[in-house]
Amino acid sequence: MNSLLEQFLSEARDFLQSISEKLMQLESNPNSVPLMTELFRFVHTLKGNSGLFDFPEMTRVLHASEDLMDAVRNGRVNYSNTLADQLLEAMDFVGMMMDEIQVEGKIIKNYSATAAEVAKSLRGLLDSADAVNVPVAIEIYTEEGLAAKAISWAELPELNLPESIAMALYRCVMDGDTVFWLQYTPEPECFFKGEDPFFLARQVPDTLWRNVISTNDASSLAEMDVYRSQLIFQFLTTAPTEELDDLFRYVPDQIHRIKIPALAFVKPNGSVNNQTVDDEFISSALVLLEENNLAGLTRTLLTMLELSAPDLWSSSVLRWVLQCIEVEPDNERMQYALLNALRTQITPDWSSMTPTIKPHEVAIEPVAVRSVITPTIPVISSGLPDELLQIFHTVVNTQREILSLPGKWSAGRLQSVAATLLGCYRTINHVYEIETEAALQLALTEKSPLPLLALLEAALLDVAVVNTPESEIIESLGGRENANRGSEDVVSVGRRSEDAAGASQSKTLKVDQEKIDRLMNLIGEMVVAKNALPYLANRAETVFGVRELAREIKSQYAVINRVAEEMQDTIMQVRMMPMSFIFQRFPRMVRDISRKLGKEVELVLEGENTEADKNIVEALSDPLIHIVRNSLDHGLELQDVRVAAGKNAVGKLIIRATQESDRVLIEIIDDGNGIDPTVIKNKAYEKGLIDEATLERISDQDAVNLVFAAGFSTASVVSDLSGRGVGMDVVRSAVERVNGTVGIESIAGKGTRIYLSLPLSMAVTNVMIIQSNEQIFGVPMDLVVETVRVPRSQVRMIKRKQTTVLRGRIVPLLSLNDLLANDVAQLPNEDDEFATLIVRIHGEHVGILVDNFRETVDIILKPMTGILGGLPGYSGAALLGDGSVLMVLNPRELI
Amino acid sequence: MKHILIIDDAATVRLYHRNILEAAGYSVDEAINGIEALEKALVKPYDLYIVDVNMPKLDGYGFLKEFRLQENIKQAPAIMVTTEAGANDRTLGYAAGANLYLTKPIKPNELVAYVRLLLGDLS
Repeated sequence: MNSLLEQFLSEARDFLQSISEKLMQLESNPNSVPLMTELFRFVHTLKGNSGLFDFPEMTRVLHASEDLMDAVRNGRVNYSNTLADQLLEAMDFVGMMMDEIQVEGKIIKNYSATAAEVAKSLRGLLDSADAVNVPVAIEIYTEEGLAAKAISWAELPELNLPESIAMALYRCVMDGDTVFWLQYTPEPECFFKGEDPFFLARQVPDTLWRNVISTNDASSLAEMDVYRSQLIFQFLTTAPTEELDDLFRYVPDQIHRIKIPALAFVKPNGSVNNQTVDDEFISSALVLLEENNLAGLTRTLLTMLELSAPDLWSSSVLRWVLQCIEVEPDNERMQYALLNALRTQITPDWSSMTPTIKPHEVAIEPVAVRSVITPTIPVISSGLPDELLQIFHTVVNTQREILSLPGKWSAGRLQSVAATLLGCYRTINHVYEIETEAALQLALTEKSPLPLLALLEAALLDVAVVNTPESEIIESLGGRENANRGSEDVVSVGRRSEDAAGASQSKTLKVDQEKIDRLMNLIGEMVVAKNALPYLANRAETVFGVRELAREIKSQYAVINRVAEEMQDTIMQVRMMPMSFIFQRFPRMVRDISRKLGKEVELVLEGENTEADKNIVEALSDPLIHIVRNSLDHGLELQDVRVAAGKNAVGKLIIRATQESDRVLIEIIDDGNGIDPTVIKNKAYEKGLIDEATLERISDQDAVNLVFAAGFSTASVVSDLSGRGVGMDVVRSAVERVNGTVGIESIAGKGTRIYLSLPLSMAVTNVMIIQSNEQIFGVPMDLVVETVRVPRSQVRMIKRKQTTVLRGRIVPLLSLNDLLANDVAQLPNEDDEFATLIVRIHGEHVGILVDNFRETVDIILKPMTGILGGLPGYSGAALLGDGSVLMVLNPRELI
Repeated sequence: MKHILIIDDAATVRLYHRNILEAAGYSVDEAINGIEALEKALVKPYDLYIVDVNMPKLDGYGFLKEFRLQENIKQAPAIMVTTEAGANDRTLGYAAGANLYLTKPIKPNELVAYVRLLLGDLS
């Protein structure tokens, strides 16, 4: 899973938790505006985050939630318990999808129907007025024409294009191109979600015209929030729908797209000076049109154009008529409407007219592509009306452009720029007046525009540049990952504080996990290979008789051994992961379950920073959840029961991780009602897990351990017991798979402690080599309690089973040859003693008789594959330093 | 009252601008080319110049270059007004000494706004 996705999931879980917390708080304080605002922000940010990935269902539900919370925040919808339930349900749905992503790396199941349903029920809570406001990308106007469509001309965007561009676009559409009006309104919070509206805007293909406008409604500089996007991007583009859809696939709701009919561009502009065009001219033009004398009409129009000021509205109409004659000579209605407009001085109403589409009739000139970008630098706003603000921007930015020009600078030019700027500044309360004067003096002495430019830049920067948050979010992402590793308590933290942490973090290199695994394997092999050196030294001495060489090899071995171990440690460090990785889900889980069960539980997490190998931590996740669920379900009592038992009303659940030498110890401790050994005993007897004799003498502790026995737990037992026992055998086998052990201690009525002990790493296994029937075998050292030599006289037969007494304890003895079905007796040593390996199996000590002990070695245990994989009694095989294969026994299966 | 000089060889344009600016409360003079404009400006400095590009005898660029070197009057803001709106032309205009480059047709209210802004008359 990529780290961004991982980051998303971990952050999203925080958000989900915060959301439910806030909802709970709102329940008791339903009118709190800060709470609502915060809640909205959480949902909103979560939605934005999800939009970074291709999880449309998730985004959809979150979007609906966001809209709902927005309505709540603005007081349009009242907060209610139903609403809280719906939102929680929606968040659970999101959480479920995240679980799937966590496991599978993506969403596999098809949730679109469910998502639609959840979103619908959320939207159902919005009143109908709000429902209309839900932004959707709509497409209006098909090739068939305009009048047939439900959406009227009035809903077309106001196109105030320069005439030349409008004409080019008009020709474009007549040529068969589809021109879309595209409005992209980035979310105000987009910068914090890693979105880059500028990048997206620049990516819009086939742009014929574009514009940026501001939604800024802050009336003063101090009120303006430069960390929020206040921009609206507008485009006219001929790009195909699919391309646009693809480009904006993550922000489809921020896009408004309308197909523009050709006639919408036919909009004469210019000044209307009450100078009506000579009526006689219009009449004669209309006559020419009726006679279909287009050549004559063109001449008349050209003459008239020469006589009128080009910037007049009427001149523009004349040019449009000429354009129309050129492009659509047959469209008399349009030409007539335009000529008639000269009389009425009103732009013709095109809504009733369908343009005749005559593609390819006229050779089309290349479209004039021009970027009309209104300056986006948020200059000091001053309460100027919008149009004036735009003009202000234009002028200020032009001065900057001028000051940036190379070449010789005359005093006059410098002074005129300063004068222009001063004129501007005077409009906004005379700011920067003194500074500009000073800069001008400096510029005049230096004969350079730089002082003025520097001041202007500073003035512009004064209000901060818009894309600051972009870099910030990248920093915070980087910082966050590290912060997650180290922080005691990962909650949704303020962005600022993270930045500080991020800045001081050392550089992090992201490495593919496979590479680390490969490195781990290699170092494992290295560890084994170095083990060949002692063999070699031995051979040098005994076979070749070169003692000197043997000693040298041994000393060299010491060096290699040290380096290899260091390397191994280092690589293992890389793979280490903090327990917080799995701990972080418990708060929400415990809250949910306890709420569902009506119990009050205080969860204490300790040692989240304890680290273990990634594989171990991951393998722990499921068993832990299992255990915690059991504790909540069966361990901790209801509040009144607790009070009646004289306990604190609020139950306590502690999950603690500690490191003990080379193992990690995880404890799950609750102060619930514990396990009653008598009940367990009886149940186990009923199930036939123990016989009557055992039932009589089994200790309480042993009885409690029976919960781990396979087949102990079934649903009926659980409900009858009202204690724990759900699938504890599953827990045990999962833990044992990673060479861990699990134990349980319980005092009836007081509580239960379950502890898991796991190796820090499972890459290299320490085994003891034993000899039996002329073969050697390995036994994992973590099972070996001790090695003893038991004299033949000490072996007793009890109930036809070999046993011995070791330190006052009866230990059953088993012969390895028997276990492996070799019909050979174990060989004692010269003193008639049997080499006995005492192993701990499920908490009990068992002696295994072998022929002899050998050394212990570090090996890489390779599980057996293929048909051998089904062989019981072996955990795997390993290569020894001398090249021979060592079969490693699994005593748990063997006995 | 502030004085503005409109420099344009087309009478219509001059009138168009004059009407707009006079309506906005400015006193307006006209010059038909760069030479005449320089002569007028040297006699009576104006607060703002509205300069066409293509003019006989001395065009807008030439006028601005000369004008920016004349003591006492050289610091006044100048708006270049033209029908061609190529980016290159703009740079030429700016290099010559224009402070703004507007493309015809300019809407009356827009022209007034620009003029007011440059003259500091908006407040």
